[in-house]
Amino acid sequence: MKKIILSMLAMSLLIVSCSSDDDATPSAPLGAYEDGIIVSGEGSPSSISFISEDLTTSENQIYYNVNNEATGVYLQSLGFNDDKAYIVVDAGTITVVNRYTFEKLGTISTGLTTPRYIAFANGKGYVTNWGDPFDETDDFVAVVDLTANTVISTIPVGNGPEQILAEDNFLYVSHKGAYTTNNIISVINTSSDVLTTTITVNDNPDEMLLDDNGDLIVLSSGKPAWTGDETKAAITKIDMDTNTVSTTLEFSDGEHPELMTYLNGNLYYNLGSSILSITDDATAVTSTPLFTTVATTLYGMAAKDDRLYFVDAVDYTSAGQLFIYDDTSYSLINSFNAPVVASKIYFN
Amino acid sequence: MIRALRVFLIVFFSSHIMAQVPLDSIQRLDEVVLSDIKLKDFANGYKVTVLNDSLLKKNNASFTDLLRFNTNIYFKENGYGMVSSPSFRGTNASQTAVIWNGLSINSQLTGQTDFNTINTTNFNSIAIRSGGGSVQYGSGAIGGSIHLNNTLSFKQHFDNTATLSYGSYETKNVNYLSSYSNEKFSVNIGLDYRDSENDYKYLNTDQSNENGAFQNGSINANLGYVLSSKDVLKLYHQSFIGEREFSGTVSSPSLAKYEDQNFRTMLEWSRFGTKSYSKLKVAHLQEHFKYFGNKNTDNFTFGKVNTYLINYTVDIDLLKDLKFKPIVSYNYYEGSGSSFGNPNRIEFSTTALLLYNPNEKWHYGLNIRQDVTSGFESPLLFSFDMAYDVSNFYKLKLNGSKNYRVPTFNDLYWQPGGNLDLVPETSYQLDLGQEFTYKNASLKVNTFYIKTSDLIQWTPNDSGFWSPENIAEAQNYGAEASLEVTHKIKAHQFSLQGNYAYTVSEDLETDAQLIYVPYHKANINLAYAYKRMSLFVQHLYTGEVYTTPENLSGTFYSVEAYQLTNFGLNYQLFKTKSQQIDVSLKVNNLFNTVYENVAFRPMPDRNFNFQIQYKF
Repeated sequence: MKKIILSMLAMSLLIVSCSSDDDATPSAPLGAYEDGIIVSGEGSPSSISFISEDLTTSENQIYYNVNNEATGVYLQSLGFNDDKAYIVVDAGTITVVNRYTFEKLGTISTGLTTPRYIAFANGKGYVTNWGDPFDETDDFVAVVDLTANTVISTIPVGNGPEQILAEDNFLYVSHKGAYTTNNIISVINTSSDVLTTTITVNDNPDEMLLDDNGDLIVLSSGKPAWTGDETKAAITKIDMDTNTVSTTLEFSDGEHPELMTYLNGNLYYNLGSSILSITDDATAVTSTPLFTTVATTLYGMAAKDDRLYFVDAVDYTSAGQLFIYDDTSYSLINSFNAPVVASKIYFN
Repeated sequence: MIRALRVFLIVFFSSHIMAQVPLDSIQRLDEVVLSDIKLKDFANGYKVTVLNDSLLKKNNASFTDLLRFNTNIYFKENGYGMVSSPSFRGTNASQTAVIWNGLSINSQLTGQTDFNTINTTNFNSIAIRSGGGSVQYGSGAIGGSIHLNNTLSFKQHFDNTATLSYGSYETKNVNYLSSYSNEKFSVNIGLDYRDSENDYKYLNTDQSNENGAFQNGSINANLGYVLSSKDVLKLYHQSFIGEREFSGTVSSPSLAKYEDQNFRTMLEWSRFGTKSYSKLKVAHLQEHFKYFGNKNTDNFTFGKVNTYLINYTVDIDLLKDLKFKPIVSYNYYEGSGSSFGNPNRIEFSTTALLLYNPNEKWHYGLNIRQDVTSGFESPLLFSFDMAYDVSNFYKLKLNGSKNYRVPTFNDLYWQPGGNLDLVPETSYQLDLGQEFTYKNASLKVNTFYIKTSDLIQWTPNDSGFWSPENIAEAQNYGAEASLEVTHKIKAHQFSLQGNYAYTVSEDLETDAQLIYVPYHKANINLAYAYKRMSLFVQHLYTGEVYTTPENLSGTFYSVEAYQLTNFGLNYQLFKTKSQQIDVSLKVNNLFNTVYENVAFRPMPDRNFNFQIQYKF
């Protein structure tokens, strides 16, 4: 009987796979968190929430529910590679889980000091580290053996490396400057694991992404007025063939956007809880918002499939919120409870 | 003890004073011994609980544990030995004043006292005064105040106590107390050093408290000198130097380290007249901390405040049953720190206390205070209290007051965020107490209501940083009961002491219970003594506390209720008229309970402490 069912199942799979020409091989569900949105929160306590792609179900504290342990302070970011997710915690650990089940597979606990973000290239993991945040000269990118989950070498870089983006054999690292300030993008060759060049941009570069033309877009927040030394924020376009700045679009004084995302040829950024956008060929930034989100403290944004996603850190102690907007009507589609100090949105 | 002192004073004043002996002086015994007389004479309508030196010496517990097991106060402790802050009647940590020999020692930087930076053994008594006390003790005495007292007597004596203890997690403590006096000169000194790896196991895990070691030393030195028949000069000093690692949470190790240096010195000159009695105090307090995010480096942030204070007060007997006590005080605070330059603040305050005791049954108190402070306006504060002895068994106490908590240096000057437009938090409170006494039993029942406005809260602002504002409002109400019974059957002595508190502490905007305030907290202490042996059992119940404002239960939203039991055994090895050796063993967390006091910060497993004490 079992055999018959199995063979029928196999037959039906065959039929499905024959009839569909875009999906390569259909498969059984990979885990409870296979298709949907993952939201991480810094805490404390830090945690991770999951919302199904059809927005019908949601679950908070998924890592805790699966592994019966907490994720630590402060959960900075997540990275995804193949079927694994890497949970980067400021205190100095990276927890490796199956990205679909969130079952813990291992930890990287030595060789990291104030780790921030992870990226993957050339079969290796690369983690930005502030080192001691008070020391501006000990910052590095740790190179991780993804099989052994160990740090195998370090690449010294400038102060306060933040986000890291992999493109072919190169890594681009934005230097927001940890506790102080910085204004560079480091470029690392992953064949030799050496720093090849640095590109100067406006102060406090943080978010980076690739646009549809294959250019690197960097958002620099500039130094805010309260520092007594205000500098201008900017969106900088970098030509990745020459590693030089091709365009710099500066903001006015008093405008310090911190978040950026990209969808269908539109670059979205924020001013407070308002959302603005420019197109790829824009020659100036705009100050006219498309709409204002309902977030109290807009703390993260992402975009996918005609939807814009925003997380609200509220008062940094209450449960955070995830807001989902339509990218053409800018109307609120749905909202969900999210972790405390919800900060990052990923798609599984 | 008191009787002996009284006899001594009679002898002292009659033999050393010429012609006109102010007879009143004999009644002024307490003024000679105590530095903070307000606590005794001007608190009739308040519940005051005293933990005496025998308890302090015997217990060898941290200040936090001492109060957690013996009073209604709830503590939020970031792992054993780490930063520990009180919630008194549901108020927050900066709304409980800690008073050292009459002076507030709450940090000017944070507004609160870290209870793990105070060692109790060097004090003669610790008193807990429930209810608002800002008129008498200044900023922060909203829920209540905790008083650390050293007494100086002029009774001929020379007593020494040396204590050594060793316990789990390589916890070592050496303490030496010495007290000497003759008729003119009195000195008492306390030296204390403790050191612990504090690397307790996190129960049910394979982890331990990795970065939690601490060591600290403290010196208390107090001197008194009788200048003349009318004048007594006293010098109080306390130093505390501590170094602590700051442990992480269950899932995140930490490398942080914290250093504290606190110095407190006060010179006091008392003068006794026939119908009045005056005191002039000059003091210098210094608090200094260094925080190392990574203990393996030399990089740190710091904060330091020097407080210079001059305080003058006179107790005047206006009539036989009417006492008047004006106080004027001038404080100068000068701060410096990594995050706020070098601000300073001047505070001038005038206070008037009136005490009316028309007969033995009725006592009334009326107090007012006005501060003039640089930087912000302080409200006019007042308080009234009354006590009525209904019968020998039953006493009624009532007090009401307006209290305040001034913005701290961090609130005002932190860069960025400090807000110079802040005003003090203000609070009204009412407290009704009933005391029943029957033979060897006493029961105190109190009900209270506190409403606090203009609560200072740090919130993120539009410019991208956090800033404090006077935004929140809260109300606290609840009931407390304390029971004390002693019983003796031949050579068997029994005692029972228990406390229970029910506390509601609500944010008035959301009507939700504030985080880290348990609705229920109870403790009970049972002691038994027979001849040379004594033993005690302590039990504590702390109700669930919410850790987020939404008042949800569960690992990510609340800390579970827990019960904890300690057990102690003491044996007098040796005793002569002038010497005594005691050995004792204490078992903390007898039942190896898994518990947390703050979310994700496990507390110690079962642990032992062995102590030997030599008195001579």
